[in-house]
Amino acid sequence: MLVLTRKVDQSIVIVQDGVVIEVHVLDVRGEQVRLGVKAPKSTPVHREEIFRQIQASNQAASAINPDDIPE
Amino acid sequence: MTLNRFTTSRFGEISFEDADVVTFSEGVLGFPDSRRYVLIQHREGSPFRWMQSVDESGLAFLVVDPAHYLPDFSPEMPVADAEQLRIDEGTARLVYTIVTIPPGRAEEMTLNLAGPLVINCDEGLGRQIVLEDPGYSVRHRVFAEGAAKPAA
Repeated sequence: MLVLTRKVDQSIVIVQDGVVIEVHVLDVRGEQVRLGVKAPKSTPVHREEIFRQIQASNQAASAINPDDIPE
Repeated sequence: MTLNRFTTSRFGEISFEDADVVTFSEGVLGFPDSRRYVLIQHREGSPFRWMQSVDESGLAFLVVDPAHYLPDFSPEMPVADAEQLRIDEGTARLVYTIVTIPPGRAEEMTLNLAGPLVINCDEGLGRQIVLEDPGYSVRHRVFAEGAAKPAA
Protein backbone atom coordinates (compact mmCIF):
# COMPACT_ATOMS: atom_id res chain seq x y z
CA MET A 1 0.00 0.00 0.00
CA LEU A 2 1.18 3.47 -0.85
CA VAL A 3 1.46 5.57 2.32
CA LEU A 4 1.33 9.36 2.17
CA THR A 5 1.44 11.89 4.98
CA ARG A 6 -0.93 14.84 4.62
CA LYS A 7 -1.93 17.76 6.81
CA VAL A 8 -5.31 19.40 7.22
CA ASP A 9 -6.28 21.25 4.03
CA GLN A 10 -3.95 19.11 1.95
CA SER A 11 -5.17 16.48 -0.45
CA ILE A 12 -4.23 13.62 -2.70
CA VAL A 13 -5.23 13.16 -6.32
CA ILE A 14 -6.05 9.82 -7.94
CA VAL A 15 -6.08 9.70 -11.72
CA GLN A 16 -7.32 6.79 -13.76
CA ASP A 17 -8.32 6.75 -17.42
CA GLY A 18 -8.47 10.53 -17.45
CA VAL A 19 -10.78 10.65 -14.44
CA VAL A 20 -9.50 12.79 -11.57
CA ILE A 21 -10.53 12.06 -7.99
CA GLU A 22 -9.40 14.36 -5.17
CA VAL A 23 -9.43 13.34 -1.52
CA HIS A 24 -9.09 16.29 0.86
CA VAL A 25 -8.24 16.13 4.56
CA LEU A 26 -10.73 18.61 6.02
CA ASP A 27 -10.38 18.14 9.73
CA VAL A 28 -8.66 15.94 12.31
CA ARG A 29 -10.06 15.61 15.82
CA GLY A 30 -8.54 12.90 17.98
CA GLU A 31 -9.14 9.62 16.13
CA GLN A 32 -11.63 11.09 13.69
CA VAL A 33 -10.59 12.33 10.28
CA ARG A 34 -13.03 14.14 8.01
CA LEU A 35 -12.36 13.61 4.34
CA GLY A 36 -13.84 15.39 1.38
CA VAL A 37 -13.99 13.52 -1.93
CA LYS A 38 -14.26 15.33 -5.23
CA ALA A 39 -15.16 12.88 -7.96
CA PRO A 40 -17.33 12.83 -11.08
CA LYS A 41 -20.94 12.26 -10.09
CA SER A 42 -20.90 8.93 -11.93
CA THR A 43 -18.24 7.64 -9.48
CA PRO A 44 -19.71 5.89 -6.43
CA VAL A 45 -17.84 6.53 -3.16
CA HIS A 46 -18.50 4.35 -0.14
CA ARG A 47 -17.33 3.71 3.38
CA GLU A 48 -15.31 0.52 3.27
CA GLU A 49 -17.31 -1.32 5.98
CA ILE A 50 -20.62 -1.50 4.11
CA PHE A 51 -18.81 -2.45 0.91
CA ARG A 52 -17.11 -5.41 2.65
CA GLN A 53 -20.35 -6.47 4.36
CA ILE A 54 -22.16 -6.67 1.03
CA GLN A 55 -19.26 -8.62 -0.50
CA ALA A 56 -19.38 -11.11 2.38
CA SER A 57 -23.16 -11.41 2.09
CA ASN A 58 -22.85 -12.07 -1.66
CA GLN A 59 -20.27 -14.79 -0.95
CA ALA A 60 -22.65 -16.49 1.48
CA ALA A 61 -25.58 -16.12 -0.93
CA SER A 62 -23.67 -17.72 -3.80
CA ALA A 63 -23.44 -21.00 -1.88
CA ILE A 64 -27.20 -21.39 -1.39
CA ASN A 65 -28.73 -24.86 -1.59
CA PRO A 66 -31.86 -24.97 -3.81
CA ASP A 67 -33.43 -27.55 -1.48
CA ASP A 68 -33.59 -24.93 1.29
CA ILE A 69 -35.79 -22.48 -0.60
CA PRO A 70 -39.26 -21.96 0.89
CA GLU A 71 -42.38 -21.94 -1.30
CA MET B 1 -32.09 -13.88 -33.31
CA THR B 2 -29.44 -16.18 -31.94
CA LEU B 3 -30.14 -18.75 -29.29
CA ASN B 4 -27.16 -19.07 -26.97
CA ARG B 5 -26.48 -22.21 -25.01
CA PHE B 6 -24.62 -22.41 -21.73
CA THR B 7 -24.09 -25.29 -19.34
CA THR B 8 -24.68 -24.42 -15.69
CA SER B 9 -23.83 -26.46 -12.60
CA ARG B 10 -27.34 -26.15 -11.09
CA PHE B 11 -29.69 -26.12 -14.07
CA GLY B 12 -27.81 -28.09 -16.70
CA GLU B 13 -27.86 -26.61 -20.19
CA ILE B 14 -29.85 -23.40 -20.52
CA SER B 15 -30.64 -21.47 -23.68
CA PHE B 16 -31.22 -17.75 -23.89
CA GLU B 17 -31.36 -14.92 -26.39
CA ASP B 18 -28.95 -12.00 -26.39
CA ALA B 19 -31.83 -9.78 -25.28
CA ASP B 20 -32.25 -11.88 -22.11
CA VAL B 21 -28.76 -11.01 -20.88
CA VAL B 22 -28.35 -8.43 -18.12
CA THR B 23 -24.84 -6.97 -18.14
CA PHE B 24 -23.35 -5.91 -14.81
CA SER B 25 -20.40 -3.87 -16.06
CA GLU B 26 -18.77 -4.05 -12.61
CA GLY B 27 -20.09 -7.48 -11.69
CA VAL B 28 -21.77 -8.24 -8.40
CA LEU B 29 -19.59 -7.14 -5.44
CA GLY B 30 -16.96 -9.79 -4.81
CA PHE B 31 -17.51 -11.37 -8.25
CA PRO B 32 -15.90 -8.92 -10.67
CA ASP B 33 -15.20 -11.54 -13.37
CA SER B 34 -18.84 -12.45 -14.01
CA ARG B 35 -20.54 -9.68 -15.91
CA ARG B 36 -23.40 -11.34 -17.79
CA TYR B 37 -26.42 -12.89 -16.11
CA VAL B 38 -29.82 -14.25 -17.08
CA LEU B 39 -32.87 -14.49 -14.82
CA ILE B 40 -34.50 -17.88 -14.36
CA GLN B 41 -37.86 -18.46 -12.66
CA HIS B 42 -37.31 -20.68 -9.60
CA ARG B 43 -40.60 -22.59 -9.70
CA GLU B 44 -43.98 -21.95 -11.23
CA GLY B 45 -45.68 -19.31 -9.08
CA SER B 46 -42.64 -18.76 -6.84
CA PRO B 47 -41.56 -15.19 -6.05
CA PHE B 48 -37.93 -16.30 -6.34
CA ARG B 49 -35.71 -16.00 -9.39
CA TRP B 50 -32.21 -17.24 -10.01
CA MET B 51 -29.73 -14.80 -11.41
CA GLN B 52 -27.44 -17.21 -13.24
CA SER B 53 -24.07 -16.10 -14.52
CA VAL B 54 -23.48 -16.96 -18.17
CA ASP B 55 -19.76 -16.35 -17.71
CA GLU B 56 -19.26 -18.80 -14.83
CA SER B 57 -21.27 -22.02 -14.77
CA GLY B 58 -21.32 -22.43 -10.99
CA LEU B 59 -22.32 -18.88 -10.09
CA ALA B 60 -25.97 -18.08 -9.41
CA PHE B 61 -27.75 -15.93 -6.87
CA LEU B 62 -31.25 -16.48 -5.54
CA VAL B 63 -33.10 -13.17 -5.74
CA VAL B 64 -36.56 -11.90 -4.89
CA ASP B 65 -38.46 -8.68 -5.49
CA PRO B 66 -38.18 -7.03 -2.05
CA ALA B 67 -41.77 -5.79 -2.42
CA HIS B 68 -42.88 -9.40 -1.92
CA TYR B 69 -41.84 -9.18 1.74
CA LEU B 70 -41.46 -5.42 2.25
CA PRO B 71 -44.04 -3.43 0.29
CA ASP B 72 -42.56 -0.15 1.59
CA PHE B 73 -38.99 -0.80 0.43
CA SER B 74 -38.21 2.01 -2.00
CA PRO B 75 -34.76 3.44 -1.34
CA GLU B 76 -33.59 6.45 -3.23
CA MET B 77 -31.07 5.51 -5.88
CA PRO B 78 -27.74 7.33 -5.54
CA VAL B 79 -27.05 9.68 -8.46
CA ALA B 80 -23.81 7.90 -9.39
CA ASP B 81 -25.63 4.59 -9.78
CA ALA B 82 -28.48 6.10 -11.80
CA GLU B 83 -25.86 7.59 -14.13
CA GLN B 84 -24.04 4.29 -14.52
CA LEU B 85 -27.32 2.49 -15.22
CA ARG B 86 -28.54 5.24 -17.55
CA ILE B 87 -31.80 5.26 -15.60
CA ASP B 88 -34.08 8.23 -15.25
CA GLU B 89 -37.61 8.52 -13.91
CA GLY B 90 -39.23 7.01 -16.97
CA THR B 91 -36.94 4.01 -17.39
CA ALA B 92 -38.49 0.56 -16.87
CA ARG B 93 -36.56 -1.16 -14.13
CA LEU B 94 -36.51 -4.22 -11.92
CA VAL B 95 -35.29 -4.29 -8.35
CA TYR B 96 -34.21 -7.51 -6.66
CA THR B 97 -32.57 -8.33 -3.38
CA ILE B 98 -30.14 -11.21 -3.00
CA VAL B 99 -31.36 -13.98 -0.68
CA THR B 100 -29.18 -15.87 1.77
CA ILE B 101 -30.32 -19.08 3.47
CA PRO B 102 -27.99 -20.80 5.95
CA PRO B 103 -27.72 -24.51 5.01
CA GLY B 104 -30.82 -26.37 6.21
CA ARG B 105 -32.28 -23.35 8.02
CA ALA B 106 -34.88 -21.79 5.70
CA GLU B 107 -36.44 -20.00 8.68
CA GLU B 108 -33.26 -17.93 8.94
CA MET B 109 -33.54 -16.62 5.39
CA THR B 110 -32.25 -13.07 5.02
CA LEU B 111 -32.42 -10.41 2.32
CA ASN B 112 -29.57 -8.05 1.55
CA LEU B 113 -31.43 -4.74 1.60
CA ALA B 114 -28.22 -2.69 1.69
CA GLY B 115 -27.09 -4.05 -1.68
CA PRO B 116 -30.12 -4.30 -3.96
CA LEU B 117 -29.74 -5.20 -7.63
CA VAL B 118 -31.26 -2.71 -10.04
CA ILE B 119 -31.81 -3.57 -13.70
CA ASN B 120 -32.46 -1.14 -16.53
CA CYS B 121 -34.88 -3.29 -18.54
CA ASP B 122 -34.66 -1.18 -21.70
CA GLU B 123 -30.90 -1.56 -22.04
CA GLY B 124 -30.23 -4.79 -20.18
CA LEU B 125 -27.91 -3.10 -17.70
CA GLY B 126 -27.61 -4.18 -14.08
CA ARG B 127 -25.82 -2.94 -11.02
CA GLN B 128 -25.54 -3.76 -7.36
CA ILE B 129 -26.29 -0.54 -5.51
CA VAL B 130 -24.62 0.19 -2.17
CA LEU B 131 -27.00 1.94 0.24
CA GLU B 132 -25.15 3.71 3.05
CA ASP B 133 -28.31 4.26 5.11
CA PRO B 134 -27.90 2.08 8.25
CA GLY B 135 -31.67 1.50 8.14
CA TYR B 136 -31.07 -0.98 5.31
CA SER B 137 -29.61 -4.19 6.70
CA VAL B 138 -27.21 -6.48 4.86
CA ARG B 139 -28.98 -9.37 6.61
CA HIS B 140 -32.64 -8.50 6.96
CA ARG B 141 -34.37 -11.48 8.52
CA VAL B 142 -37.63 -12.32 6.72
CA PHE B 143 -39.29 -14.68 9.18
CA ALA B 144 -39.58 -13.63 12.81
CA GLU B 145 -37.29 -15.45 15.21
CA GLY B 146 -39.03 -18.44 16.75
CA ALA B 147 -41.56 -18.54 13.91
CA ALA B 148 -42.63 -21.90 12.55
CA LYS B 149 -40.36 -23.29 9.86
CA PRO B 150 -41.68 -22.36 6.41
CA ALA B 151 -42.54 -25.16 4.01
CA ALA B 152 -39.40 -26.01 2.02
